[in-house]
Amino acid sequence: MKFITLPDTTPLISLRVVFQTGASQDPPNQGGVAWMTAMMLAGGGSRTLTYKQILDAFFPMGLSVGCQVDKELITFTAEVHADHLEEFYEIFRGMLLDPGWRADDFARLTDDAVNMLEVELRGQNDEELAKEILYQRIYQGHPYERHDAGTVSSLQALALDQLKAFYLAEFASSNLIIAIGGGYPDGFEQRLRKDFSALPLRARAGVEIPPAPPVAETELYLLEKPARGVAISLGFPIEVRRGHPDYPALLLATSALGQHRMSSGRLFTRMRQYRGLNYGDYAYIEYFPGGMYTLQPSPNHARANDIFQLWIRPVDREQSLFALRLALHELESFVTGGLSQDEFQRARSFLSKYVNLLLKTKSEELGYAVDSAYYGIPAYPDYVRAGLSQLTLEEVNAAIRRHLRYDRLRIVAVGEGMQDFKDAILENRVSSMTYNSPKPEEILEEDKVVERRPILVLPGSIVIAGADAAFA
Amino acid sequence: MADAKIFAYDYDQHDYPNGLRLITVPAPYPQVVSLYIVVQAGSRNEVEEGRSGFAHFFEHMMFRGTPAFPPERYEAVLQETGASSNAYTDDDRTVYHTTLTKEDFETLLAMEADRFQHLDYPLEGFQTEALAVLGEYNKDSTEPINKLMEVLRDTAFDAHTYKHTTMGFLRDIERMPQMYDYSRTFFDRFYRPEYTTLIVAGDVDPAEVRAQVERHWGAWQRGSYICAPAVEPAQSSPREAHIPWPTHTLPYLLVAHHSPAYSDEITDGAALDIISFLGFSESSPLYEKLVIEDQSVDLLWASNADHVDPYLFTVMARVKEDPMVPDVRESILATLRGFAETPVDDSLLANVKSHLRYRFALSLDNSEAIASTLAHYVSLRRTPETINRLFYLYEQVTPQLLQTVAARFFQPNGRTIVTLANGDAK
Repeated sequence: MKFITLPDTTPLISLRVVFQTGASQDPPNQGGVAWMTAMMLAGGGSRTLTYKQILDAFFPMGLSVGCQVDKELITFTAEVHADHLEEFYEIFRGMLLDPGWRADDFARLTDDAVNMLEVELRGQNDEELAKEILYQRIYQGHPYERHDAGTVSSLQALALDQLKAFYLAEFASSNLIIAIGGGYPDGFEQRLRKDFSALPLRARAGVEIPPAPPVAETELYLLEKPARGVAISLGFPIEVRRGHPDYPALLLATSALGQHRMSSGRLFTRMRQYRGLNYGDYAYIEYFPGGMYTLQPSPNHARANDIFQLWIRPVDREQSLFALRLALHELESFVTGGLSQDEFQRARSFLSKYVNLLLKTKSEELGYAVDSAYYGIPAYPDYVRAGLSQLTLEEVNAAIRRHLRYDRLRIVAVGEGMQDFKDAILENRVSSMTYNSPKPEEILEEDKVVERRPILVLPGSIVIAGADAAFA
Repeated sequence: MADAKIFAYDYDQHDYPNGLRLITVPAPYPQVVSLYIVVQAGSRNEVEEGRSGFAHFFEHMMFRGTPAFPPERYEAVLQETGASSNAYTDDDRTVYHTTLTKEDFETLLAMEADRFQHLDYPLEGFQTEALAVLGEYNKDSTEPINKLMEVLRDTAFDAHTYKHTTMGFLRDIERMPQMYDYSRTFFDRFYRPEYTTLIVAGDVDPAEVRAQVERHWGAWQRGSYICAPAVEPAQSSPREAHIPWPTHTLPYLLVAHHSPAYSDEITDGAALDIISFLGFSESSPLYEKLVIEDQSVDLLWASNADHVDPYLFTVMARVKEDPMVPDVRESILATLRGFAETPVDDSLLANVKSHLRYRFALSLDNSEAIASTLAHYVSLRRTPETINRLFYLYEQVTPQLLQTVAARFFQPNGRTIVTLANGDAK
């Protein structure tokens, strides 16, 4: 058990209880068991209190227990006012250490997980769908392959006993990190230590996380569903993660290419600002779920493996092939040409300051500290700033060439008319752009190159699937 | 905590001769400053036919440059300051917000002052931006709740601009590229000091901020436009609409009633806020019945969203199977009726009041959260004091008042029900 403490004198107390286990540890044929186990703790009753009793107790305190399941970490969070710490903690302890395992909670939470996959992700959020399917295509045959919540059929096949067994095996004191901050009283930390020591030591060896399988050739995976726009995500695995010597360089590079939800990146400027193709275009080197709802990533998605990816927000169907070609064109010029001195300096200045804003709240500060413990690095802002301060433009461009590429990609598109999209790619059909306003000569000239850019892919490597296939 | 002012921060509120208001909140979070620029114009102000969605579109245009700061230069400065910056528009407001380290605050303040006073974008940039807005509509169009709200408003309102969503009707969005001249009119009307409040929260000295704002915003000229959306006539009979949805979904149900405008003086709205929690929050009997016991519903909420003019009290349920929709609908209506028929238990009412206070206190845990919360209220009453007045009203709400208010606002004639389901199922 590790402890991270960030005490202060405010009346608010933040708590993060993080187990170093997750969806990658689901036993064979039990997809979603880690997810469901965590949900049963956070969204079900304890042995002594029903879920309803817990909701009623928390309600006047204005609080709830958050839960996040990722490949290698399961995180429970709560923010509580000092007025209620005692009352809250008694309940919270019961939820995590003495769960109720009631069948009616299990039925309700299974429905929730199925609806999250089937109704929300598959049905309503084409952008997130394209991203999640991209992970599945990249991690085929790997412990990261399945969605964290499993599939509709695997969820429906789970039994409560499997959750209990997972809890006993994986929710161990030996893979636990507890992070606490704010104005908690003396002795509270000791109490947590004592209570959570009651969990057993981890008895089984965890599933090893191997490197991602290499991508030998470009693959397009096209999900057909009715929609006004086509959502596109593309990427490939990288070996760089926090702690890797090239992490700061690649962080800087992807910030210049497409800082999340900022209008400064190259992709945003050239695809949206100049051409009005869509609402935004961004680049990532770390998992960032729910990017359409939040400006900053939530912590505790730390992973042994990660991917480089581009997020192309929904594009009008007629312009979707052009948009994909333009994204690949930009990626090529980024990889081969690197950053300019000016881009380098601006991105470095940006990140050196912006990194402070990621840790605005006590809860975020604790979350980043947990991730730093996972990666074995100093406090994240210090780590990033120190790394950035020593970088040169040449080193960043060398890191781009070392780790990034514009071929051997996994590409996922979600939308309508996928057969035509496929045919157009295989026939290398020209995808001319027309605009509603005059454009500078430079843009029009570039368009002539982009509109006929070949996407080198074998016919067998373009797969069309119905959206119903996702997470089935 | 129960007796203290809910918005407990000392703040400095200052009016400039041109009508601009500045609210500075020193907060105990070192190094960081949040600037929220609140313009009291949103889709409510789109009073002319065919202009729905324009306030939101205009928010996009604010990033299209001035002579001193063309878009590339604006972006370069923002980037060098490491700022987290964005903007949003809703019914009653457009808000431009930036959070950054304090050393760069005045640079940002000056640059923002420049674009609010000297915005000047070319026709080409305007027309290109109209496409990005269409892209935004396209990305949102996959979510049923967006369509539900679009149809609910269109059905429930006849005259007031709340008839359309902030995003606007698709037909108007598609015509935006032709509205360049109108965009200049829109800027001229609403991007004026008397419509604008600056909120600065964080590691700052109020006196210094006052002087900085005077330096950069003092010369901004007051305007003269007064916006008066049409008054919505009383609804005379219940209304319904159904949306057939092209892809797999669970059925959705919205039950809405016309409700009063935001007020920090009259208790009606405060009472409806409390009913939304008593009746439909996770701790409500209906949630227990539908979500926990019967498990016929997986999402349930109600909202009496604060608005400048009378809006809607809305209950939303996502139902697990199509045939269950009529029963769920009846349960919701019975719950609403119940508030008029039977006084609620004092202890339950006290729980909601406690919930509201602690939820509010827990949310103010950083400078950005303080500024962002204030932005909402400031666009309604232009002062943080309205929060304290509102929470004072919550304290005044009694079981008897809840009955009176429920009886008045949950009348069938003020009701609109919208359903959405895959295919034609209702």
